[in-house]
Amino acid sequence: MGETGQLKKRKGIHGTLALIAIGVGLYYGLVVAPPDAYQGEVQRIMYLHIPTIVAAYVAFFLVFVGSCLYLWKKEKRDDILAHASAEIGVFLTALVIVEGSIWGKPTWGVWWTWDARLTTTAILLLIFIGYLLLRSLIEDEGRAASAAAVLGIIGALDIPLIHMSVYWWRTLHQPPSIFRPDKAPWENIAWPLLIPLIVNIVAFLILFFYLLSLRYRLGEMREAIKTRRLERGI
Amino acid sequence: MTPAWGFVALAYGIVWGAIVIYLVALKRRYRSAEVELNRLRSSEVTENNDKK
Amino acid sequence: MEFLSQTYLLLHKDVRLELRRRESLLTMFFFGTLLLFVFHFSFDLVPEKIAEMAPGLLWLAFLFTGTLGLAQLFQAERENHCLDALLLAPLDRGALFLAKTCFNLLLMVLVELVIMPLFWVLFDWRAWNLLPQLFLVTLLGTVGFCVLGTIMSAITLRARARELLLPLVLFPLMVPVILATIRCMENIVRAGELGDAWPWLRLLLGFDVIFTTLGILIFDWVIES
Repeated sequence: MGETGQLKKRKGIHGTLALIAIGVGLYYGLVVAPPDAYQGEVQRIMYLHIPTIVAAYVAFFLVFVGSCLYLWKKEKRDDILAHASAEIGVFLTALVIVEGSIWGKPTWGVWWTWDARLTTTAILLLIFIGYLLLRSLIEDEGRAASAAAVLGIIGALDIPLIHMSVYWWRTLHQPPSIFRPDKAPWENIAWPLLIPLIVNIVAFLILFFYLLSLRYRLGEMREAIKTRRLERGI
Repeated sequence: MTPAWGFVALAYGIVWGAIVIYLVALKRRYRSAEVELNRLRSSEVTENNDKK
Repeated sequence: MEFLSQTYLLLHKDVRLELRRRESLLTMFFFGTLLLFVFHFSFDLVPEKIAEMAPGLLWLAFLFTGTLGLAQLFQAERENHCLDALLLAPLDRGALFLAKTCFNLLLMVLVELVIMPLFWVLFDWRAWNLLPQLFLVTLLGTVGFCVLGTIMSAITLRARARELLLPLVLFPLMVPVILATIRCMENIVRAGELGDAWPWLRLLLGFDVIFTTLGILIFDWVIES
């Protein structure tokens, strides 16, 4: 019977909502927001960069939650959530690095630098690429799910330690401008820039959850296909 | 276009291009999985009917 | 107490096996030595530069040698379905984890005890007084490596391309250990003592404690039939 009409309608609404939100975000980021006093127009990349980072961290948090739940209850849906989140998370993290690199060229003069944030993001990307590779290289699905869940939990718990150690190591460089440990985020950024930023973060999160819902449903369907094939001995 | 807007365009272009590509690819996988699932479901029904 | 005696039993078994065949230990020794030769050919290690490059080079050698050891870690169990037998026994899986970690730690420590002095000799580094402190810091780093490595070795047990996958998943997770250990070693080399590298040492200790605990708790799910 395929998907119910209601489910399809909800997806359609969600997708349209995401599109509208992104449109609004783009308008705010590119038109409403004033250019930065020091960096000029290039600063607008922040309205991409920070929302992508936020979405990526949400994705990896969901991987952690899904992994914990899966090990605890062994319900397939938690594994599907973890896998879907990881895939989107890897994609977003790769984008973060590209954005950071493009932002870095006019501001620092180089395409890459080993500053704390870029380095940590690159390590994060490697960890979760490893996660996806691990899943694909283990043939037994049950084992793959458990193995991936363990890696997901260890990876997620290691990330604060990685963050800390890389940050200490690179203390000479500029500390992160928004998320500084000593000051609240809104004290670091001027008001006219904060509103477009928040708008874009919200828009990106709506988009993220839309992508996640699609990818999750894909995972569910694949699971259903596999079960049916097994039952029929195909 | 000043070089500054050039970088902005590059960043936004790459990011949104990538997101669109990912979305298209995702939808394609989604559709083919749906087709496969429907095929399995309908042939299951005919199998059950044959058994009766 | 039951837990510790199980750990000891499993460790004892692995040690006896190793003493009999000595495959892992010898391979690791020779590979470590080989790496030192490769370093000699790859870098211009004049006496003035050796001090600043020593921590990094030593750790490169240990990381790659250790990875070899990890690949072998569950080898005995994979053959002849020993792993299934082990899992059927009423063992605490955390004890299995601890035993394997300690075994790997033992192998690596033995290798380091040879490779480190060898490094000093081959590159004519006269700072023998630094060796004990550097060894202690390396020991803490090696614990971190063995703990994470044992978990990773176990979860990649049935994966294809296991020898490639294992370092790929392990090394990014090792970043805090590598950073902390090398920063401590650099300070020791530069100033003869830890000095302001103490926070790094605390980070290293914290890492070891956290992941050893996590390993013991999580190993039930790591090894499943």
